Amino acid sequence: MPKAKKPQVLVVEDEASVLLTYRLMLEDEGYEVFCALSSQEAEAILARRGFDLVLCDLSLEQNHTGFEVFERVRKRDPKVPCVLLTGYANRETTERAEQAGIAVFFKPIEIDEFLRTLKKLLRNAHGKPAEANRD
Amino acid sequence: MATPLLRKQLPDPGSFVERRKSVRDSTALRLLSAERSEEIFPILLEEIIALGFPRALVLGVDFESGAVRPVAALKYQPNQLQRFHSQLWAGENPLVAALHALKPALLSPLGGDREPLYCHPLLYRNRNQCWEAERERRRECLAVQNFRSPHKLQLQEQVCASCGMRAYAAMVVVQVGRDPKEGELRQLRNLIETANRYLARLFKVEHYYNRMRDMDVTISQMHTVMQSMADPVILTDGHHRVVMLNRAAERFFKMPEGVTEGGARAVELNNLYFSAALSSMAVSGVESHRDLTLVDVMEGEEVLFEAVCAPTFSSDGVRTGMVTVMRDVTDLRRADQEVRSNLQKLRDAEEIVRQDRDRLNLVIENVGDPIVVADGAAKMVLLDPLAKELFGMGDAPRHPAVVRNQARLDAYLTAFTFSFAEGQNRPLRLHNPASNNEIEYAARSGKIYDARGQVAYTVTVLRDLTAWKKLEQLQLERRMLEVEKFAATGRLAGTIAHEINNPLEAIKNAIYLLPGKLKPPAEPVYDILKSETERVTRIVRQMLGLYRNTDQVGPFDLNSVVDDTLTLFARQLSTASITVEKQLGKLPPIVGSADQFRQVLSNLVVNARDSMAKGGRLAVRTRHVRATDGVHGSVNILLADTGCGIPADMLQSIFEPFVSTKGEKGTGLGLWIVKGIVENHSGGIRVRSRQGRGTVFKLSFPIVR
Repeated sequence: MPKAKKPQVLVVEDEASVLLTYRLMLEDEGYEVFCALSSQEAEAILARRGFDLVLCDLSLEQNHTGFEVFERVRKRDPKVPCVLLTGYANRETTERAEQAGIAVFFKPIEIDEFLRTLKKLLRNAHGKPAEANRD
Repeated sequence: MATPLLRKQLPDPGSFVERRKSVRDSTALRLLSAERSEEIFPILLEEIIALGFPRALVLGVDFESGAVRPVAALKYQPNQLQRFHSQLWAGENPLVAALHALKPALLSPLGGDREPLYCHPLLYRNRNQCWEAERERRRECLAVQNFRSPHKLQLQEQVCASCGMRAYAAMVVVQVGRDPKEGELRQLRNLIETANRYLARLFKVEHYYNRMRDMDVTISQMHTVMQSMADPVILTDGHHRVVMLNRAAERFFKMPEGVTEGGARAVELNNLYFSAALSSMAVSGVESHRDLTLVDVMEGEEVLFEAVCAPTFSSDGVRTGMVTVMRDVTDLRRADQEVRSNLQKLRDAEEIVRQDRDRLNLVIENVGDPIVVADGAAKMVLLDPLAKELFGMGDAPRHPAVVRNQARLDAYLTAFTFSFAEGQNRPLRLHNPASNNEIEYAARSGKIYDARGQVAYTVTVLRDLTAWKKLEQLQLERRMLEVEKFAATGRLAGTIAHEINNPLEAIKNAIYLLPGKLKPPAEPVYDILKSETERVTRIVRQMLGLYRNTDQVGPFDLNSVVDDTLTLFARQLSTASITVEKQLGKLPPIVGSADQFRQVLSNLVVNARDSMAKGGRLAVRTRHVRATDGVHGSVNILLADTGCGIPADMLQSIFEPFVSTKGEKGTGLGLWIVKGIVENHSGGIRVRSRQGRGTVFKLSFPIVR
């Protein structure tokens, strides 16, 4: 089996069960999924390598937020599409995300729309459909 | 041509007796030729002289004065008559005595006479009754009585009981020779008696003639009286035939010259009505009256009469007819009717006034606020029981606080009464003697004007502001509590939702991953899992929306929120072939949470969209409504769809939580949240809906400049 050029996705989510479902869904869609349960883990991974797409929960362990993770990602590569997942984002949060060019999804997410949006984001960022990379 | 009976009585000439008879007959014929009573005595005296007596005279009795004096004389010198004058009561006079004796007498020579005097008293006497007595079949005719029993008679009683005739008394005095022969005297006596019979007959005729004249006068007087009466008077006989009517009656019952056909009919009708009325009145016998409507032939107007009818009787009690007098009561009745109706009106008005007064009293007693009515001079006229407590009235010793209250009220009333203001609304601090503390009242006054536009009364209602303020405070607190409750509910819902959110996310994602990994029998279970999880997801989303948007309060432009929301849903709406009609007025900024408004609008737009599955129209309008005072006002939002509408029985409960018209698809929280947010902003929401036609939501938010 040749090493496919799968889009590499980082998912940060403090709830393990949720993280697992995201991973399974995204792998089904043909992504290569990397998981982190906290911002610390995420930072550790990000220190090692870059990703095509980063998904991150807003509220992480203790007082850490998804925005810290995104900052880290953008520092490394400002063009990486980012998606914020949140259960109770207020207007301020949403505005902040929009200003930073980060897509926002409210939990519980609409899975189909969510997957469509991810594909679009990847296409826009790399000029080619993610689908093509699967084969 | 004489009848055989008469021929038999004709005189037979020839014998002596026959000759004497003829002499008597000639005397009788002379006496018969007399047409007046006064002609009798001269003829009698001439006949006496013709018998060969030297002289004779007649003494008359005047019953009025009692005088006895000569009324006729022959062969006497005037001076010789003087001694025959006397009086009826002069009994010592032999002539008067002879008169009273009522019997012929031969008196010895008197005074200057040398020869005796034959005196023959005359009285009204006859064998036949007077006509009156004859008609009335009475036996008391004076003439007959005098004829039958002359001795018992008194000269003073010479009045006929039947005909009322005042009879005469006289005495023929004849001078006779020294020794008069019996034959001569008999002849004289016969002559005088014959003359008396003729006299009596003429007297009777004259009496009846006089009576007739008197009656004529009476009749003409009665006629004049009748004619001069303004009311119609009608005289009828026993058969109800009109005997006589006066001019006033002719106007109604007599056909005038050249009358029209209608007039003639009117007269006929009047006569008909009258005889009918007369017949019915005649039955009742005594004086009776009834109403009768007749037509005035000349004027053509109906006249209402009151006919009074009385029967007439002859002197012997026989009913001879009726007299009817009619009184025009048209005006009287009209006036009477008017008076009656005026009286009724007055009573009605009085009743209305009484009811009004009672109602007013009831109102005043039950207002629950002190009421003071003062007159145009700002003097208290009427106080309700509550006002009496405050200001006192009557002689009871006054509480110093009451006196102080009175002074304050007087100042207030005087200022108001003499001001130009129609009404006034001012605070007034008064002391309550019962609770012994100061109370702030809002005095509200109005004026009542009299017909001249002067202030007649002022009415002042005092409203206890402390109580009112307390109530207002209470209401505010209750409202705050409601808001707080809603916010707390929202927070709780948010917290719960948040806690559920993550596990739900995991479950949902897991279910998404399941397809293809299940055995076919488990597929229905998978479907249940999927749909129920989706429902939970929707509920959690709504709850989170509520919780999310509780911060950031400030002034914002509602129109832009509307714009944003409609833009957000633009694609969904056009996909569902719903056209949007947007009409946004110029609005002042609203203070509140724009996010919450966004959610309100989103929820309402989503509902509208869901109600129009086959497309339709959604109208969204905003408007600024200014209040008349220029300070207050409101911002109104209207959302109208042409969707399926809300069933009438659900309209009451759509704002309650977990009530949905969408079945499985809805959470039943949308409108509950909408209402909560609207009320959080002191606004109001109203809904109008008709099934199959559409639904209109109207939101209104008060703004203060």
